[in-house]
Amino acid sequence: MSIEKGELITEKLKAKFDEVATLIYHVREVMVKLANTQPSVVQSWDKIDVNLYLAKDKRLFLAVLSVKSVDEIVKSVENLSNYALSVKESEFYAPLPETVGCKPIDNIFDEEIARYMDDPSPLVELAVETSLSEGAERIAGTIDLKVLDKTLITSKGFKGIERGSEAMIYLRTFKNGFSGHWAHGCRHIDLKSVEETARRAVNYATACKKEVRVETGKYDVVMSPLVVGNLFNEVASMASAFSVLTGFSIFMKHKIGDRVASEKLTVEDAPRAAELAESSAFDDEGLETFNKPIINSGELSTLLHNTKTAKKMGSISTANAGWIAPKTWNILIKPGDSRENEMLEEVKRGILITNNWYTRLQNYVEGQFSTVSRDAALLIENGGIKGCVGRVRITDKFSTILRNIDLIGEKQHLVKWWEVPTPTKAPFILVRKVNLSKPT
Amino acid sequence: MIDESLLNYAIDYALSSGAKYAEARYQLNSKFNVIVRNNSVVGLGKYSVEGVNVRTLCNGSLGFSATNKLTREGIRDAVSKAVSRGKALSRFLKKPLVFSDEKMGSASYEVKTKKPFDSMPLEEKTRLCINIYRAANSAVKKVKVPVVFVKYLEHVEKKIVVNSDGAYVRSRTPRVYLQFNLIATHQQRGTVQRLIERGGSGGVELLDKWDPLEVARNEAKTMEKILMTAVKPPREKVEVVIGSEVVGLIVHESAGHPMEADRILGREAAQAGESYVKPEMIGEKIGGAWATVIEDPIVPGSYGYYLFDDEGVPARPRFLYKEGVINEPLHNRLTAKLFGLSSNGAARSMDYASEPIIRMSTTYLKPGDMGFDELIEDVKQGVYIKSYMEWNIDDVRWKQRYVGLESYLIVKGELKGLVRNPVLELTTRSFYSKLKGADRNLKFYAGTCGKGEPPQSIPVWFGGPNTRLSKIKLGVHA
Repeated sequence: MSIEKGELITEKLKAKFDEVATLIYHVREVMVKLANTQPSVVQSWDKIDVNLYLAKDKRLFLAVLSVKSVDEIVKSVENLSNYALSVKESEFYAPLPETVGCKPIDNIFDEEIARYMDDPSPLVELAVETSLSEGAERIAGTIDLKVLDKTLITSKGFKGIERGSEAMIYLRTFKNGFSGHWAHGCRHIDLKSVEETARRAVNYATACKKEVRVETGKYDVVMSPLVVGNLFNEVASMASAFSVLTGFSIFMKHKIGDRVASEKLTVEDAPRAAELAESSAFDDEGLETFNKPIINSGELSTLLHNTKTAKKMGSISTANAGWIAPKTWNILIKPGDSRENEMLEEVKRGILITNNWYTRLQNYVEGQFSTVSRDAALLIENGGIKGCVGRVRITDKFSTILRNIDLIGEKQHLVKWWEVPTPTKAPFILVRKVNLSKPT
Repeated sequence: MIDESLLNYAIDYALSSGAKYAEARYQLNSKFNVIVRNNSVVGLGKYSVEGVNVRTLCNGSLGFSATNKLTREGIRDAVSKAVSRGKALSRFLKKPLVFSDEKMGSASYEVKTKKPFDSMPLEEKTRLCINIYRAANSAVKKVKVPVVFVKYLEHVEKKIVVNSDGAYVRSRTPRVYLQFNLIATHQQRGTVQRLIERGGSGGVELLDKWDPLEVARNEAKTMEKILMTAVKPPREKVEVVIGSEVVGLIVHESAGHPMEADRILGREAAQAGESYVKPEMIGEKIGGAWATVIEDPIVPGSYGYYLFDDEGVPARPRFLYKEGVINEPLHNRLTAKLFGLSSNGAARSMDYASEPIIRMSTTYLKPGDMGFDELIEDVKQGVYIKSYMEWNIDDVRWKQRYVGLESYLIVKGELKGLVRNPVLELTTRSFYSKLKGADRNLKFYAGTCGKGEPPQSIPVWFGGPNTRLSKIKLGVHA
């Protein structure tokens, strides 16, 4: 669907609504899924969705529609304006921002990804062959390639168009009854990254060697970038002002400037990190995006706002729209100065957790949560790996985890997978005195 | 709706392109939602997404392709991608994929509503959502309920499934879903949070049945009591009685998921995970006589209701665990073939852009025949865990944890004061082996289950009776 059609939809809907924003996504995507060392399915998508923001008399309406003719799209939403009589003014209403233009982000589209979409076989072969040659007995994973065209038109005169690409490689390898994994997500495809993902996955499966027992208690925990990515996806989501306003945030109890973490920690929302897949020059309201720290040297630096939450909380937009809820673009954890092996050497007795899933909270305001390790969770004693501890659970408070960060790795890894849905650039992190549990 | 001849065109074009099997599914998901924070409507939403997907088997390789370009050209392009990309990857196959032979469905059905969505004016729907905030606050004196966040959703799902083995199934399923998040606070005693979900297939008559205002009042009162009076759970081993809501979640996680045959066979190994159950374990014991878990897509009014699955196979109840024995996994046509069985109709998909994979629908523990009072009458000291917030389970569905919210001490067969955040952390075998009784109060709860690559979220019910476990040591949250 062309930018002209987006303009036409916006123009026609202006007859019924005070404000209109039309956001069109055209997704072309291919995913090869691997199971038992062979493709289990190859999936392809080609779809166009039209997203609409409509305001009338300070009432807010959103719509998502499959591609149709302009007239069909207009017809299917214009009666929403009648609902303005049935609901009161939204306490979240703020006008769409005036258009000021924005600087595009270079290098977010990789032609190679589009080419591999037609024939992903070389990537499949590389992932499988590398894993097997490194010693894997069985391989599972996904190779996901995407090209996304995004078009935004607002009734305030903003017109933006962006073409981006994404490659996401996730491999889980099995050896001697143990498994290891790694995940990589980037705007570009890079064969070395496919090999490195396979190598890391096999290395962790190999490192397990034998099972060792640990008991429930407090441990120093080295978290891999996958674990860091998962936990900071939660933290960043809780920094959305909408999460704060709706009771899903540890930051409900804090004000800007409060110390919420170790001073070693700086976490950014990074829409301008071109290598990460959610990089974008403009937000859904048409504001120019910019990188900003959420936590800066341990202090809460900002919540993430659109114009709606900003007005409600007496702040200004941070260009994180989401029309109703502000969203994180990409997450960037500032690197420290520790090498991976040096970090392990700093651990007398602790656990290296290489992957986790199922993070759930008892209470978002208090930040009480637990999450379960998967694949390699390795006992470290005096800096050396002693064996695999099986599946253990981190059960703690986010505030404790954030404050007990002691060392941060010097190298950042590009991570995205099921449990890290917001693309994240994260190093290894050592957290002291983390509460771990196992079934009694 | 679609011109149905396009689906037949997809099948014919796939077969003429070299596919041995072809399937085409049209799906429309149409939703209307209301979002309310406290006493204000944040916004209204409309979602109407439709499209077609095709699945093909070529040289034993499975291709899937989805498009919402509902023209002959759009469909042809989707078929070409499924066929050509499937063929290209067939060289990596050590073992070609084959579907089981099945008697295919030929049917058209619709879930009826007693009160259609449009029989209730929008003003009434928004008033109901706003009154949840008011009801919660009217019920408490010593604490505040400063934030109530409500999502109300009406959903109609229409599908047409056809395939080259003769299936034709057309369905229409309306659903209603209501979720609200309550936060109760006390300056010295902190906060308590509760997330309530209700969902079912049908119309707005479900709102009368759910009585959300009464639920909000009761939950807020309970949250106040938790904040003001709850004590730490006992440290010694005690008998534990688990309420329907928690039992339902436990059987969903520790019977439903591990009995999905695609997990058992490693197809979901990459992200969703595998299962502690291996094919040779069918028939082995996992628990005692009370451990009967049923998975049933045809429970009337259920949130995950269907009569035919997305491969066109008729749905039926399945006994996952039967009197403590690992009995019958959930199958689609791929896994059924590998097990040498027939499919039991468990293939579901979130929307037109999603591959049909093995999913649950309504999963529940078989109830007993006693009353709740009888269930607990001889408990000398125990804890009754009625509701939860936090839970998780590992990727083979073995080690799991549930943290109680509304939880009571049981002393000499009677519920006494509240206990705060008791933690039940145990293995699947431990849970099913410790079951020693269940009352007759079978209740179901709505949830949204995630699985698949890319992730698919589908509506499900889970449930059970109040259930008694033999002695176990409870934990305390950090």
